[in-house]
Amino acid sequence: MKNLDSVLAAYLAGWAIFFAYYISVARRTAALRKEVERLKQSLTRGK
Amino acid sequence: MLKTIVTCVLLFVLIALTAYIAFHYAPIERTMGIIQKIFYLHLPAAFTSFVALGVCFFANLMYVFKREAKWDWLGVSAAEVGLAFISVVLVTGPIWAHPVWGIWWTWDARLTLTFVLWLLYVAYLMLRSMLEEPEKRALLSALFGIFAFLDVPLVYFSIRWWRTQHPQPVILGGAGSGLDPRMRIAYLLVWAVFLALMVLLLKARYTLESARADVDELRREAEAV
Amino acid sequence: MSLLSNTAVLLGKELRTEFRSRELLTTTAVFILIVMVLFSWTFGPTTEEARRFSPGLLWLAFFFAASLMLQPCFLREQNNDTLSALRLSASDTFAILLGKVAANTIFLLLSELLLLPIFAVLYNVPIQPVLPEMLLVLFLGSLGIAVSGTALAAISSQARMRELMLPILLFPLLVPVLVASTEVTRSLFDPNPLVKWKGIGFLAIFDLVFLTALWLFGEYLLEE
Repeated sequence: MKNLDSVLAAYLAGWAIFFAYYISVARRTAALRKEVERLKQSLTRGK
Repeated sequence: MLKTIVTCVLLFVLIALTAYIAFHYAPIERTMGIIQKIFYLHLPAAFTSFVALGVCFFANLMYVFKREAKWDWLGVSAAEVGLAFISVVLVTGPIWAHPVWGIWWTWDARLTLTFVLWLLYVAYLMLRSMLEEPEKRALLSALFGIFAFLDVPLVYFSIRWWRTQHPQPVILGGAGSGLDPRMRIAYLLVWAVFLALMVLLLKARYTLESARADVDELRREAEAV
Repeated sequence: MSLLSNTAVLLGKELRTEFRSRELLTTTAVFILIVMVLFSWTFGPTTEEARRFSPGLLWLAFFFAASLMLQPCFLREQNNDTLSALRLSASDTFAILLGKVAANTIFLLLSELLLLPIFAVLYNVPIQPVLPEMLLVLFLGSLGIAVSGTALAAISSQARMRELMLPILLFPLLVPVLVASTEVTRSLFDPNPLVKWKGIGFLAIFDLVFLTALWLFGEYLLEE
């Protein structure tokens, strides 16, 4: 079918943007959550 | 970790749903053929980005008047998510245009507006990265966000009156006039799915921002000890 | 009226400060000249091409000049720590901003008027028959640049990389002014009354919208 590869390219590109964004947000959140745990622990130890 | 996996599965389900609506439910367009299917991604993404930017504007106003951090978190989340949707619009547009018009880009009113919108919100995010103090960052970026939003109708009219190519390339195949009802429903359904996707991404980004605030607060506590 | 007299006093201060050294005016004017000349070398020297491109190049030159000229607007206050004194002296923060907007508009206009005859000569455009309308569009466009530029300078002066952040924030925002001013200017050389008056009206609306926004949100811009 003519232009099918353009259609696929568009859909892949579009969804890749959403996925890439979500994954970047999720990874940064996980890193921050670990940091929160680390800081909480060091504070309770300090006290 | 589990939450991330569940969300990714949810994302896949949403993709499958839009693909089903676009390819199976909606009929094939007569003149353009299958390439028209790109619009089931392109148009709902555009409308969803407007919703996200409206949320951003609302959050900016609320922050300026209430000064509660949560509005700042909502503002930056809405701006980033909006930017993601605009990026989808700007990427899918040229991929459609090249086989159909033979050109990647044209300075048509809608494309130009989308591009300027993209630039404005990139500027908003860049401003935030250049402001360290959390309250200053929240206030000043909220003010810029408000000015940017007020600018949008002015950008639209100036481009529509003086920078639009004639003849106007017809995108929807005569939207509203003789548009197959299943196509209209398909657009609306995909838009509903995209709105759900937008809420999902907003929640994730908002959580990130509040985690960042937690870290900052804990760090300050740790230094005080 | 308290607002007008406050603004007038503050405008006087801005003008006096600048006219002591005149460094802002002279450097802005020279910068516009250099950009104008440089642009003229980017396309072929035919009169027809010059007529087509010159309005856009003129306004682009003004935009670049403004993005540099607006930098000291709040930096002078920051360096000398005078902003809090200003806020105490004026009962209305809008007067402070309005004074700066008026001053910036005047500085821009003066630089533009200095360069106008040179522009007419370099690009072979007939300015004299359309001088009143030319002055009108220069005023409305410069006011638009000054209003949004002053507001955004207040924002960017508090950020890192402020010299680059101001144009990044300002230029996308000023797209309507660029398009409208260029079209009106072009319609003066290639007469088209419909474009001319529509554009002039549009510029007036832009100025009004942002002046109102400045009035509504100005006090937050100057918050410490």
